[in-house]
Amino acid sequence: MSSAHVDHTHGTLPHEPEKATHEGRNKILGFWLFLGGESVLFGTLFATFLALRNQTNEGPTAHELFNMGMTAAATFILLTSSLTSVFAIQAMHRHKLKQLVAWLGITVVLGLGFLGLEIYEFAEYVHKEHFGMTTSAFSSSFYTLVGFHGAHVLFGILWISLLIAQLFKKGLTVVTAPKIYVSAIYWHFIDVVWVFIFTVVYLLGKVG
Amino acid sequence: MTVDHQQTDHDVIKHGHRHEGPYKHVVAFIFSIVLTLIAFAAVAAGGVNTTFTVIILLVMAVLQVLVQLGYWMHMKDKGHFIPILFLVGGFFVAFTCVVMALSWVWW
Repeated sequence: MSSAHVDHTHGTLPHEPEKATHEGRNKILGFWLFLGGESVLFGTLFATFLALRNQTNEGPTAHELFNMGMTAAATFILLTSSLTSVFAIQAMHRHKLKQLVAWLGITVVLGLGFLGLEIYEFAEYVHKEHFGMTTSAFSSSFYTLVGFHGAHVLFGILWISLLIAQLFKKGLTVVTAPKIYVSAIYWHFIDVVWVFIFTVVYLLGKVG
Repeated sequence: MTVDHQQTDHDVIKHGHRHEGPYKHVVAFIFSIVLTLIAFAAVAAGGVNTTFTVIILLVMAVLQVLVQLGYWMHMKDKGHFIPILFLVGGFFVAFTCVVMALSWVWW
């Protein structure tokens, strides 16, 4: 950490450094607007999926396809990463840089675990179940919705990794804090979307 | 904000905030896990009554989302009216899309 920022990590940073500056507060507010837009975007994909989920074109149905064990594992990994992300923000509020970086690191690792499971799942569907993107309206809408969520997870992993690098370079300041806070909000939002996906796509798909 | 007696280390700051302890987040996490387990168990048990299972799943999902939004995204904290407005607005349009797609395609 550069000496210019030592002061900030020893008591002169405010309690919630992410909200200490006007720019920081605007960044957070703007991000909520973005999440409103993201909700609409995922809403359209859910709408498409729900409208087409029984159009299997003689390909595999949701009931035949889904493996509850893998979905449960992915869900628990993502839920846990939401908790570690909250711990990162709490460490930030206590101005504990090392803890903050450690919790962000664990969040990234859990995100990678989730993504690995999803890639494995998709590969299995395509190769073993002959369930490709163009198999049926169900498969297209499934891959678009779930894949789009996976792409968000990937983006979150890259984003948080870059923020960790920035923390090493610049330390915890009123400039870096809003970025960390916003990335944590994003990560929780990804988890919220996953709650809808495992309920609507996987569990309701299994029920019929 | 509730007073957290376990947190006493140099914690009262200029807005009168105290640092939150990890406890309530751990409780929220355990609650989420339990909700998830109930949802998966309802499907695993299966077949008794589909409508009943679907209702259980939807209730679990709604509770789970409220935990995420309220506790982990800090929406229950004060000063979150505009964020709630943005997100509820987004959810409203999203829900309208779902109703639209289902009704236009299949009715």
